[in-house]
Amino acid sequence: MSVAAPDKLGDSLITVEHLTMRFGGLVAIDDVSFQGANREITAIIGPNGAGKTTLFNCLTGFYKPTVGRLTLHHPRKGDFLLERMEGYQIPQRAGVARTFQNIRLFPAMSVLENLIVAQHNALMRASGYSVAGLLGLRGYRQAERQAVELARFWMDRTGLTDRADIDAGNLPYGDQRRLEIARAMCTNPVLLCLDEPAAGLNPRESSDLNALLRYIRDEHSIGILLIEHDMSVVMEISDHIIVLDYGRRIAAGTPEEIRNNPDVIRAYLGENEDEPLPPEVVRDMEEER
Amino acid sequence: MPANVTRGGSPVNCKGFVMEYFLQQLINGLTLGMIYGLIAIGYTMVYGIIGMINFAHGEIFMIGAFVSLITFLLLGALGITWIPLAVLVVLIATMLFTSVYGWTLERVAYRPLRDSPRLAALITAIGMSIFLQNYVQLLQGARIKPLPPVISGGFRFMKESDFVVTLSYLQVFIILLTITLMLVFTYVINRTSFGRAQRACQQDLGMAALIGINVDRTISLTFVTGASLASVAGLMFLMNYGVIDFYIGFLAGIKAFTAAVLGGIGSLPGAMLGGLLIGLIEAFWSAYFTVEYKDVAAFAILVLVLIFRPTGLLGKPDIEKV
Amino acid sequence: MTERSATTSPVLPPLDAVGIVREAGLTAFVVFALTFSLVGFKVEDVPGGLDIVTRFDQVLAATVLAFTGRVVLILLHKRRHLPVILVGLAIAAVILGLVVAARGAPESATAAWLPFESVVVNVLVAVAALVLAGRAAWSAWRRDVGVSDEAVELAARVHKAAIFLGPLMLGFAVVLPFLPFADRRLLDIAILVVTYVMLGWGLNIVVGLAGLLDLGYVAFYAVGAYSYALLAINFDLGFWVCLPFAGIMAAFAGILLGFPVLRLRGDYLAIVTLGFGEMIRVILLNWYEFTKGPDGISGIPRPTLFGLPFTRTDPDGGETFHSFFGLTYSPLDRIIFLYYLILILALVTNFFTMRIRRLPIGRAWEALREDEVACRSIGINPRNTKLTAFSIGAMFGGFGGSFFATRQGFISPESFTFIESAIILAIVVLGGMGSQIGVVFAAILLIGLPEFFRELQQYRMLAFGAAMVAIMVWRPRGLLAFRDPTIRLSDHDTAPEKQT
Ligand SMILES: Nc1ncnc2c1ncn2[C@@H]1O[C@H](COP(=O)(O)OP(=O)(O)OP(=O)(O)O)[C@@H](O)[C@H]1O
Ligand SMILES: [Mg+2]
Repeated sequence: MSVAAPDKLGDSLITVEHLTMRFGGLVAIDDVSFQGANREITAIIGPNGAGKTTLFNCLTGFYKPTVGRLTLHHPRKGDFLLERMEGYQIPQRAGVARTFQNIRLFPAMSVLENLIVAQHNALMRASGYSVAGLLGLRGYRQAERQAVELARFWMDRTGLTDRADIDAGNLPYGDQRRLEIARAMCTNPVLLCLDEPAAGLNPRESSDLNALLRYIRDEHSIGILLIEHDMSVVMEISDHIIVLDYGRRIAAGTPEEIRNNPDVIRAYLGENEDEPLPPEVVRDMEEER
Repeated sequence: MPANVTRGGSPVNCKGFVMEYFLQQLINGLTLGMIYGLIAIGYTMVYGIIGMINFAHGEIFMIGAFVSLITFLLLGALGITWIPLAVLVVLIATMLFTSVYGWTLERVAYRPLRDSPRLAALITAIGMSIFLQNYVQLLQGARIKPLPPVISGGFRFMKESDFVVTLSYLQVFIILLTITLMLVFTYVINRTSFGRAQRACQQDLGMAALIGINVDRTISLTFVTGASLASVAGLMFLMNYGVIDFYIGFLAGIKAFTAAVLGGIGSLPGAMLGGLLIGLIEAFWSAYFTVEYKDVAAFAILVLVLIFRPTGLLGKPDIEKV
Repeated sequence: MTERSATTSPVLPPLDAVGIVREAGLTAFVVFALTFSLVGFKVEDVPGGLDIVTRFDQVLAATVLAFTGRVVLILLHKRRHLPVILVGLAIAAVILGLVVAARGAPESATAAWLPFESVVVNVLVAVAALVLAGRAAWSAWRRDVGVSDEAVELAARVHKAAIFLGPLMLGFAVVLPFLPFADRRLLDIAILVVTYVMLGWGLNIVVGLAGLLDLGYVAFYAVGAYSYALLAINFDLGFWVCLPFAGIMAAFAGILLGFPVLRLRGDYLAIVTLGFGEMIRVILLNWYEFTKGPDGISGIPRPTLFGLPFTRTDPDGGETFHSFFGLTYSPLDRIIFLYYLILILALVTNFFTMRIRRLPIGRAWEALREDEVACRSIGINPRNTKLTAFSIGAMFGGFGGSFFATRQGFISPESFTFIESAIILAIVVLGGMGSQIGVVFAAILLIGLPEFFRELQQYRMLAFGAAMVAIMVWRPRGLLAFRDPTIRLSDHDTAPEKQT
């Protein structure tokens, strides 16, 4: 298995080499390698339990990989070896932000507060590690105003401005999903990892999400890793797709290549090749093409 | 808490009889450890099934000791003096009446909070602990209550040397009773329908409810079982030390909790193992180091275990899924 | 009247008398089984051993009350308000009447009719009956409002009112020593209450904001007290020099204890902090050369106002407070000074908390309380952030401790037991975690009231425990829990520019 070269132009942003993650006897990720590029959306797909979330957990420092090397090529700061960093340092230093499959906001804090907390490290420095802030110095007030501006910018983008002062826990589901993305963006990341952002969204919200992700990729020139089960989203917006099954990388390529890859179809529809596919599935696949 | 001098063991610190002294402490430590182990099972069962620290469990143990004392006095007043019968009646009475407290504790204080944040349940548990302590203090008075020895005498070993190792009949009783209870308990958990329901609930409360297990009843029974084991520990404590007061539940509770954590919280054999270890450590610490710091020793072990091996000796690893 | 309420709300289903009796009977049986052993028999100390006396009348009373209470609660639940009001009023009237009639004659025949021995328990039962009746009347009047809504509404209202309630209470606190009814006893109680308010506010940083359940807060209180006492005695330093030192020592102790354990999960952390609290107490008790062990440290210097002592005459022949200001000597001066001292310390704590809540560190504390995993994903260092909360809380505990030492003039490990931690925690929890004004109410309720009504003293801890359970069951976030956002978009809408 060779490291796949990104087939579109774009600087390489993240390199995963021979990543393996074991939980006792269970091999959740088995020798997976791939690259993700700047200004590209790299989708990671696979059936349930394929190890997609585990891959994110390794990338963002929640799990220490059993084997493997995870290198982030920061456009301005140089390379970071993510597997050697503490979990909180990965967003702080290397600029990797993520969202969670089960939404994790700060439910009792308002939308605006959620976005301000995300700028914690910058604000901490500006508040002179709280000393200047306690004294109410001007430098800090200035910094806080800028933080509100950034928060406001992302609230405008995600359509949350009207709900800025509402507790995050009281938002409807779709808004919570978008707030999580806005919060991740407020950390000023270079790589954004999204774990099933379209799950539970209605078709309209889903297409809005597509637009948002394209906007983030194109206008903010950062890389996105996207876990998603909704194939319409994946096929429409991703530049590159990696398919996992039982922890192994079974395919990689452009949406077009993946669509026609027999291994992928088998992984999704089951091992039994002799049995004919149900007619409605065949029709769906036809239509997709 | 009374000093480390128990009725069974020899209180004399005899240097020069290394082997004998060691053996004596071993016997004392094991006896003590069985008492802690019986309490620890209650902590570990409750933790296993609803994931909370039942901080008031030490108080249940204390209530068990008081009910035992009252029953002993009552039997004395009624003139029932045949020791085996008296002890049997006390054992049954304390298990019965104390488990009502265990049941009520769960029903009143914990069931309404089952879906609340963990800390809310813990605060409730602390509140219950304070309440029960003061309840007993108000009802029975704050003074230390002495009970004359019920079972006296014992086997003496190594008579040829000057330091006689004693295994008192009381210690034999405690050890045999604990072993019997553990056998019954293991049978109940492994072979009965309550045991199966209990283990299923430990695995997954929601799933257990879905397949038709009466979760409320199982949890209630868990508290009842834990309370009756703790009440037996209370009876043993009363007979072993001969004095109790309303405050004994606090330290004994903390030590038993330490035992549960040390053995691996959620693991039933772990609780007994942890109890024995804590008992031995306490006995040897008091014998060879300073008595004053023996309670600090228990806390220090707790802190060290939690920092370096939070899953304990026999516990399952608990990786946070995100 | 029952018919009227039945006609106004036709949805009321008929009552199932057998079911109610069965349920109430079950409750009564459980209460009987609970009280039979520990209430029914009392171990009496007699010369030469123990004796046993019986109190079955009280078991009976408790059982009957449990039955009635359960029936009443079921009726209330089924929206039959009138019988509840009547029964509640009747019980209250009978008990209160008997209490009044039997006053001064505890051995009389009237007294024998009272359900319980203790006046307080009788009065409490009567009050509970009154509260039930009032509750029924209230919900008969406002049918639609649920209990929890009322509580949320109340908390929000209190906090809205805090804008003027706060200054009002502060003003009252400031003039209190000069009010006509302010005697020595009242001031002593006020000092005690304000001390607990300050400790509550300090612990609120740790528990309310950062969500770290600290059961060993008293350890830092003790570190502060002993630091002050030892520094003042051994190095002959004054209160104002020692105060910051004591705070720093306590904060340092907080870092030292917190560093290894703060990564533990919430409930484990609670138990470990409890363990630390006890360890510090045992060390104070046994390290005789340093702390004088159980004898305690006495002769701790009293505070002075810039060197002016509050004594009748200065032993060194210098000026005293009253001679300097040309006043006549009054022993109350020192008490008033102590009162203002703790008031200032408390206000500093409050001001600090209000301010830091709006700073990044304060927001990070709250975020950690909400979701630690999410915090890590946005680059907040959980350990350092928790450690700051823990040590700042400890520092305020240390300040409180040195005040305690200078007020008492004597400290011993007796004063720093787990119960003390539990009381402070109860104040924070009952007040509503994170609520500053809630702490004040809770401290007045839990510390002030029992001090005033001495007979309540022995029931105080019982009530503490019961209240902690009841409030957690009723409102798991605390009585007056209410959270105001630390920042609002509307406050920042001055910048109209629109980015693209
Ligand atoms: N902390 C853990 N401990 C043990 N096993 C784990 C842990 N985390 C994940 N696993 C296992 O690893 C495998 C992969 O899980 P993962 O959550 O990565 O799947 P996924 O691809 O995200 O699936 P889904 O599409 O359902 O989200 C599963 O079998 C899961 O049970
Ligand atoms: Mg997943």
